[in-house]
Amino acid sequence: MNGTATSRAAQSVMRRLLMVWVDFETSLDTAPLIDKLRRGKFRLDDYRTLLLNHRQQVIEGSRWIARAASSITNEFAAQRSVFLQHALTEHRDYTMLEADFVSVGGDLSHMLSFEKNVGTEALHAFMFQRATEPNPFDLLGAMFIIEGVGNKKAAVWGRLIAEQLALDERQVSFLLYHGENDAGHLAGFEETLGSGILELPGMADRIVKTSAVVARLYRLQLEELTPA
Amino acid sequence: MHDVYINGFGAFFPGPPVGNDEMETYLGRIGGKPSRYRPIVLRNNKIKTRHYALDENGVAQHSNASMAAAAISAAVDSSELLLRDVTYLATATTLGDVLLPGLASQVHAELDLGPIEIASFQSVCTSSLMALKSAYAQIRIGEHRAATVSGSEFASRYFRPGFYEHAGDGATAEPPFEAEFLRFTLSDGAGAVVLEPAPNARHRSLKIHWIDIRSFADRFLPSMIAGGAYDGERLRFWGDYGSPASAARAGALMLTQDIARMRSMLPVWVSHFVELVERGRIVIDEIDHVCCHYSSQSLRDETMKLLTAAGALIPPEKWFSNLSTRGNVGAASIFVLLEELVRVRPLEKGQKILCNVPESGRALNGLMLLEVA
Repeated sequence: MNGTATSRAAQSVMRRLLMVWVDFETSLDTAPLIDKLRRGKFRLDDYRTLLLNHRQQVIEGSRWIARAASSITNEFAAQRSVFLQHALTEHRDYTMLEADFVSVGGDLSHMLSFEKNVGTEALHAFMFQRATEPNPFDLLGAMFIIEGVGNKKAAVWGRLIAEQLALDERQVSFLLYHGENDAGHLAGFEETLGSGILELPGMADRIVKTSAVVARLYRLQLEELTPA
Repeated sequence: MHDVYINGFGAFFPGPPVGNDEMETYLGRIGGKPSRYRPIVLRNNKIKTRHYALDENGVAQHSNASMAAAAISAAVDSSELLLRDVTYLATATTLGDVLLPGLASQVHAELDLGPIEIASFQSVCTSSLMALKSAYAQIRIGEHRAATVSGSEFASRYFRPGFYEHAGDGATAEPPFEAEFLRFTLSDGAGAVVLEPAPNARHRSLKIHWIDIRSFADRFLPSMIAGGAYDGERLRFWGDYGSPASAARAGALMLTQDIARMRSMLPVWVSHFVELVERGRIVIDEIDHVCCHYSSQSLRDETMKLLTAAGALIPPEKWFSNLSTRGNVGAASIFVLLEELVRVRPLEKGQKILCNVPESGRALNGLMLLEVA
């Protein structure tokens, strides 16, 4: 495959991911707690529920990226570094979330013993299964969705929550922080897509499929919130 | 199945071009005061002139139907047909002159034409492509051999101060930004085309390859609304207020636009476009001209950003627009764009023209591919 064909294949994947994303993004608006938030009916309990249910997702996130990195063979060493770097930057993010939770009256011991909800179980079982396969670059499709929530939705939600509950910015720091770290993410993503991984047979389709599965399961974890 | 060609193009704009500083002379001043919002709205939409079917005293000089009929006459004149050859008429508009009957009946009556088949399409901007698709389908299956389609708007009559001053408590209450936004965005005019199953013998024709319309009303609340007002969470319809006067007092007769909601629709419109690229219906490198209806320049800039990310941007020099001189004429927009395109741009046989008509009413998008024949 020459350079142009690679970038054309990468652009096609980007277009298909964008279609999955737009469907997913609009479906998020009707997820129970997000619907309440959009209608101005959010309560402090709802915020605690959101944080409680989200913590496992954040913790598991850096774990499956690390697992995926260990499944990448040596011919893709450069991409493996990218995955490792990624796992490293995210693996302590949950501490911010915990501080936010405590700042709004949450009980940290309750949070630490909180079980994954049904959707989070399904999402992460799927992620770890994919991450165990050799060269699981289809997980880029998963990152596109999960980071999309962080970059495009989190800050919007954070500001709405702060406004409706009259909270300080520091009490919604986890949500706001993710919204502010948008720059460069997309460019880096496209670079990895164009780095030769699409030459693996069937990889383009597999990336899109994984993104669609993750979008569905992500929605499920927001449907299946265990109350605080 | 027959191929379908656009063989005639017509436009009608009432009165002289009205500059930004004269707008309120025609529309009137709410509570006698100049609008605070006018400069902000115009800075965003970058419209310089537009036309109103009102005179300087705010008196109607035309009707929606008469403007549509004038555009149809011009379109037929530019074709190789006579008006009496037309056997199918489809009209598109946002708001007709009367609540009923349908606009096509009114337009038919304005034209010197015997009994024909008609269809009235009412939505917002994309009603134009609904009407065009119906005519396209009629010609394609051989039901008719000559059809005309109009898009027409008389928005300014609803922007007169009396439509706002009843709303709220005081007679001089300033209307909300959502209402003022449309007041300085929309204007009047009509456009029309003539369709046949074969290209013109002597003049330029545009072959219709396909028209693809998609509604996203499954996931959006209305962004534009007239004839209803929110009573808390519930949308209350104008007919449910007991009297037209109490509906007006509740603001249910104002035309309003939720700007944030409109912006949130941009990604789904772009995703519709991108999907057709993926399906091979749109081949980016093959497109020579783009006629995209957009309500303001700032939305166009945002759309281009999204398209760049998806690797689906058609270079800006291929885009054709007359928004700044003709204003936003809703359902007439795509027809007046095409009328001007074939007149001012040198077109070559085989060139492809992509048309895009999004509608923010309740999230709708229409795309169409044409080829110069």
